[in-house]
Amino acid sequence: MGAQLPEAEPHVATSALTLAPTAGEPIERRRGWLRSLDVVIPGAILAFLLFLFFVWPLIGPVGKPTGGNILNSNIEPFSQGHLFGTDPVGNDIWSRILYGGRSSIEIALAVQLIGLVVGGSFGAFAGYWGGALDLVLMRVLDVLIAFPALVIALAIAESLGPSKFHTILALSFFSVPAFARISRAATLRLRERTFILAARLSGTASPRILLRHIAPNIVPQLVTFGLLGMGVIIILEGALSFFGLGIPPPNPSWGNMIFDGQQVLSAEPRLVLVPSLFLFVTVLCFNLLGDALRARWSAV
Amino acid sequence: MRIANRRRDPLTKRLIVNRVATAIPVLWGVTFLTFLVINRLPGDAAQQLLGINATQQQIQELRSKLNLDQPFITRYFDWLGDVLGGNLGRSFASDQTVTSILNERLPVTFELLAYALIVSLLFTVPVALLAARNPNGIVDRITMATSMAGLSVANYVLALLLVYVFAVKLEWLPAIGYVNPSDGIWPFIKSLTLPAVSIGFPLFCFYTRLLRADILEQMQGEDYVVTAKAKGVGPWRVLARHALPNSLFGLLTVVGLNIGTLIGVTVIIESIFSLPGIGGALLEAINNRDILVVQGIVLVLAVIVVLCNLVTDLLYTVLDPRIRYGRTAA
Amino acid sequence: MSGAANGDLLQLGDLRVDFRTAGGPVRAVDRLSYSISAGRTLALIGESGSGKTVSSRAVMGLLPPNAKVSGSIRFEGEELVGLSDKQMRRLRGAGIAMVFQDPSRSLNPTMRVGAQVAEAVRSHADLDRAAARTRAVELLKLVRLPLPEQRYHEYPHQLSGGMRQRVVIAIALASSPKLLIADEATTALDVTTQAQIMELLRDLQRQLGMALIMISHDLGLAASFADEVVVMYAGRAVEQAPTHELFARVRMPYTKALLEAIPRLERPPHARLPVVPGRPPDLAALPPGCPFEPRCPNRQDLCRESDPPFAEGEPGHRWACWFPCNGGGP
Repeated sequence: MGAQLPEAEPHVATSALTLAPTAGEPIERRRGWLRSLDVVIPGAILAFLLFLFFVWPLIGPVGKPTGGNILNSNIEPFSQGHLFGTDPVGNDIWSRILYGGRSSIEIALAVQLIGLVVGGSFGAFAGYWGGALDLVLMRVLDVLIAFPALVIALAIAESLGPSKFHTILALSFFSVPAFARISRAATLRLRERTFILAARLSGTASPRILLRHIAPNIVPQLVTFGLLGMGVIIILEGALSFFGLGIPPPNPSWGNMIFDGQQVLSAEPRLVLVPSLFLFVTVLCFNLLGDALRARWSAV
Repeated sequence: MRIANRRRDPLTKRLIVNRVATAIPVLWGVTFLTFLVINRLPGDAAQQLLGINATQQQIQELRSKLNLDQPFITRYFDWLGDVLGGNLGRSFASDQTVTSILNERLPVTFELLAYALIVSLLFTVPVALLAARNPNGIVDRITMATSMAGLSVANYVLALLLVYVFAVKLEWLPAIGYVNPSDGIWPFIKSLTLPAVSIGFPLFCFYTRLLRADILEQMQGEDYVVTAKAKGVGPWRVLARHALPNSLFGLLTVVGLNIGTLIGVTVIIESIFSLPGIGGALLEAINNRDILVVQGIVLVLAVIVVLCNLVTDLLYTVLDPRIRYGRTAA
Repeated sequence: MSGAANGDLLQLGDLRVDFRTAGGPVRAVDRLSYSISAGRTLALIGESGSGKTVSSRAVMGLLPPNAKVSGSIRFEGEELVGLSDKQMRRLRGAGIAMVFQDPSRSLNPTMRVGAQVAEAVRSHADLDRAAARTRAVELLKLVRLPLPEQRYHEYPHQLSGGMRQRVVIAIALASSPKLLIADEATTALDVTTQAQIMELLRDLQRQLGMALIMISHDLGLAASFADEVVVMYAGRAVEQAPTHELFARVRMPYTKALLEAIPRLERPPHARLPVVPGRPPDLAALPPGCPFEPRCPNRQDLCRESDPPFAEGEPGHRWACWFPCNGGGP
């Protein structure tokens, strides 16, 4: 969930998890590899999930996520060939989970990358050069951020029609300004540091300063922000699909699986529970990882 | 804590004027972007409205009726003129004016949001204090773990789970439907409880982490905390009477600025619980391809967000005594 | 003055403070010993990082959790090292009080000034609101704050630096402490106000019979107000003597350099101010010999190899140097 503070604030809090900074963290770190547990555990789980979503369907016995036979509907979990059973239309749930997961992550990754590159650049330019560019950008950002994310995403998705590409576009509407804000704030802080002043005074050209000095210093922050935002984007994509405006059925998305499962919630709760569980674990791992990295890199 | 004697010093006045003046181009930009997004995107609007079976003539009629053959800019200014005059248009599907739709539906959304906010804040303050009392102690760790989990749950998932447990299995609360307060206060509250919790619980998680972090920052970094301890003040009083009021500013600012995201969230929740709020109206309009309604609602929501941000900004500037002599005095 | 057990209000014996940091343990205070009795003024002089502030925070028990204190701190005969926070709270404000450096940060910005003084009063006395308020106003008068009844209701940012510092002193005096520690109490103030505050402290001390420990980097200030001076460097005491003795027969080259750095009217205008060359040492990486050796004009090989003992070379005058000024070497 994004939160934006007034421009006067030097530190811009952007997501829930950015805010539990080094305050209160134990000073005495545990020894050796134990120190990295907070990064390793979520990282490992994520790596495993990514393997499941992207690699396993290519090499392992995974059924097709669509085109199920209605005669196969509602098979129990743990039965032959259907780890989680099938849905009312006959599709294998396990494969839908895997393919749905792949779509979700692909979309989230694309959205965050677009945000990072486009938003991050604009924010850095505005922060570095200031002046009219900055003023205009800030107002544009204010306008973009004024729209509740989901509302605008729904409107865009509806105008364009549901598809993976349109979903990415709609969600970028939300991530680009968020990254721009962070990037601008970080650049502003960085600009006043002595080594930047030194570079400018020694006549280094601006593009070079931006590339060699500013960029490497703000990228960790942007990446952490990006990681923390992955969870939000995945949930938003789920919401769009929930309303039929994200991934078009019959292609699976955790969102539309949950929506479909809603109708048989009392009878077959697993249709909602299984995708929800995967959604939860994935988002949780992104959050934990982002949080851990942020704690590390902000102490630098 | 009473508000500081606001000597109307010129600096504050200038800040206020400045902020308000900044909001105006933003408001204008909001109208433009709304119109752009909904009208400029590819796809023949008239065709979409009438569906596949429409004849060319029907399409032509509708196009001229909706002025779709006019240039984009003209249409935009026409619409803007209407809006400024108070006319947001009529629903294509139901012929109701957009304004009356808003009047009908916004109150429900506000009630839901208010309920969610109040409940979440009521829990946030004590829990954050308890957690901050012993950083990295048992209570703190449990709070952090729970809030992290709570933040990682999608609110539509939480809503469905709550419905499953409380409405289907336990039958304590209704699964869908809204009861007007005039039809009974208690049923009204019950009908909004599950939706409010679906929104309020992740909110609580978010705010608690925020407040706890701010309190700890005060406790560990600020000189006045040391002064308070040096006076012999007990730890709870230092937390609650010194650190907390200073931290609440930060929290309330975030609450205010987060209204935008909150409104987005209610759209989903209203749909799941079939609440007659603005979110439901938006979704209906989207499904019906009711352009004017969608435009009107999106515009109003965005304007509300801009105004909330402005008010929060102003309150922060005026109320926080620290802004006066500046955190820059560090 | 040294070692007399009776009549000593505060006695530090071999005080050591270590901090557990990410980079390993850092010794901020090393074998510090001094004592002070009622009505006397002791000046603790040193650069930043010399350990002067840390040692006084240790006396108050106000160090962060990663600090480890060993050695002895005796106040009125009672051993303070190892006491729990609750036990220390009895003393804070009532037995020992502290005045901090930056009055703009050591007062709670969101709490009225009078309330902060009243809180100090009520920490150690069971008075009702009205009685506490009366006492608070009395205290504000005592510290010569103009218009105390009016100032009572104001916020810190409405007062000037000098006035705020008076409030901080009033807070410190609220429970009639026997020992007052003034940690760079005047550093953040302009010179005129500095003089006023120091005069105030001296008068109050005489009036109330308090012992006063003034912590500063300014030897000139010590000259005017202190009975005895302890000079600290890199966490240890390097010279200690009654004031006039120190100035008359300074031994430590470090102290001598500090003396020479005091601006003097006799010097010709625009003459370069003699400064101590080099930078304060890194406490995490102290060399085996004398810590001042890299910057010392008197240094020899022995200084690099071996740490000079802090010994009483003359009655009442101790120093830690192999090759002190004014004779007295090995």
